[in-house]
Amino acid sequence: MRKFIPESLLIILPGTILFLLSCTAGSCFEETESYLKASFYNNTTLTAPDSLTLYGLNTDSLIYNNTASVQPALIPLNASTESCTFGIQINGVTDTIEFQYSSYPHLISKECGYTFYHQLDTLPKFTKHIIKDIYTGNKTITNLNVENIRIFY
Amino acid sequence: MWRTFAYSISLLLFLNCILIQVHAQDTIPIPLKIRVGMEVSGPAIYYSDKNILNEEGYISIDLNEKRSVVLAAGYLNFKYSQYNYSYLNHGSFVRIGMDFNILKPDKSMGKYWAGIGLRYGLSRFTSEVPNFQMTDYWGTTSSSITAKTNWGHFVEVSPGVRTEIFNHFSIGWSISLRMLLYSGAGKDLRPVYFPGFGNGTKTFSTGLSYYIVWNIPYKKINAILKKEVKEDTDDNVDTDTKDAAGTSGTRKQGTVIRQ
Repeated sequence: MRKFIPESLLIILPGTILFLLSCTAGSCFEETESYLKASFYNNTTLTAPDSLTLYGLNTDSLIYNNTASVQPALIPLNASTESCTFGIQINGVTDTIEFQYSSYPHLISKECGYTFYHQLDTLPKFTKHIIKDIYTGNKTITNLNVENIRIFY
Repeated sequence: MWRTFAYSISLLLFLNCILIQVHAQDTIPIPLKIRVGMEVSGPAIYYSDKNILNEEGYISIDLNEKRSVVLAAGYLNFKYSQYNYSYLNHGSFVRIGMDFNILKPDKSMGKYWAGIGLRYGLSRFTSEVPNFQMTDYWGTTSSSITAKTNWGHFVEVSPGVRTEIFNHFSIGWSISLRMLLYSGAGKDLRPVYFPGFGNGTKTFSTGLSYYIVWNIPYKKINAILKKEVKEDTDDNVDTDTKDAAGTSGTRKQGTVIRQ
């Protein structure tokens, strides 16, 4: 029995320490929203606009309000609908862009939970007051920093 | 003629000495056992946290004094909830593999085990997200993901120790280091937690298990204890001495003769 006690301690003690160390709580440090990333290019200087205002149609709040040198613009799509239309004012001239897409849930991590990813179904529809063209690259819209469209103005 | 006869006798005596030496090597009887173990930390954790119930047991059969085959099986019922989602997962798993004892036979004596286990794990589970929410520019969106059954695959390395505390009963613990091979649920809906593996959002997971084990001896083998060649040259006298049980001193290695 005397021999048993130190051997048992040898087993139980490090095991308990390891068990306690294994109980660590996690926090969410990742981007939880999926934005459509749009880069802006002036047709001659290839630079971002001096002033950008962006808002969802039929909403009260602005995403960008006369913001300078936005590159890229982060455009939030509505997961509850299959299309979104935005008003976009570049250097004081307003256009609209409509995106059609499908949304699906994606687990970010245990700590952060779920978000919606989107897949662009069609090429964006837009008015051409200042926008010259829109090039679509990666059609999958995630929480990663990957460019989706290029807006030439 | 007489000289040839003398040489022959000398040769026979020499060979006889060698044969006697081989058969006179120290041996130690090692009982091979069937082990039935139960993981006890799972029910203990459930006692304080009703959101996770993990029950696991295993059976292992010694092949020799070093190796044993292991089959483990278990059940998990997992519930998780935080501010923006809740998650349910329940299912069962099996692990199959080998345990390798690194202790020498004269140390382990069939009672002590310190070594490493290698396992392949297969898990069948049903997961569900009853609700999740996300808030963005457009407001708060609520949704859910219906229950779906998947198969997960993983491999595991589990170093640990085990010691016999009473006759036929052992306790021990092991650390589990697991690598996910396939979660079965695709890259978008990886399981938050699944049976046998743990956190399915990561490629690697760790765990700690405590076991109570019932040992059933089924066969005895004799392990040969080879004397190691001493490296220091100043003392060539073999100081190993046999004890009453026929075991010998410290610098020995074991191989096995089956009876």
